[in-house]
Amino acid sequence: MNITKTLDAKGLACPMPVVRTKKAIDTINSGEILEVLATDKGALSDITAWAKSGGHTLLEQKTEDDILYFYIQKA
Amino acid sequence: MMSEKVAIIAANGGLFDAYKVFNIATAAAASEKEVQIFFTFEGLNLIHKQGMHHLEMPAGKEHFAEGFEKANTPTIPELVEMAQELGVKFIACQMTMDVMGLTKEDFVNGIEVGGAVTFIEFAKNAAPTLTF
Repeated sequence: MNITKTLDAKGLACPMPVVRTKKAIDTINSGEILEVLATDKGALSDITAWAKSGGHTLLEQKTEDDILYFYIQKA
Repeated sequence: MMSEKVAIIAANGGLFDAYKVFNIATAAAASEKEVQIFFTFEGLNLIHKQGMHHLEMPAGKEHFAEGFEKANTPTIPELVEMAQELGVKFIACQMTMDVMGLTKEDFVNGIEVGGAVTFIEFAKNAAPTLTF
């Protein structure tokens, strides 16, 4: 996977992971991939729902050592 | 077709109320929604220049202060700034301001002052409309 940008949103509480993700995706081009790291458990459903509402594609989501990883391809 | 507008009425002025209002507002704005908040009565506290720094928790709930710190929640002034940065529009209720002797300068920059009709006009095709 060719990651264009990584956003470290670890330690941030709702709604900041989604807000930061939105700001980060605004800085990349359509088709490029944003990697997001978060520890807020609510982000699991929130970032998934956010990607869907914006028409972005969540290519992959995994959890390692309590860190949530999201790979979002910009619409 | 889903509405692209979210209309929020902020009618209460405590710390919990502020989180409810600004979390929903920023989340909606980050999801590309057009968001307006109508601040009325105690809700005006939430955008008052000094007041927003000293919002109180409900009586008997003060012990949650530790929880807020532990959860690393953003402060209300931070959320206000974030909301405005994301394009959330704040409307302060003219009538309440007159009753309380407040002017536009008492509030954070960038607000609009308007009446209920201003908000209703925006809210008529917004979904959801939320009241806090």
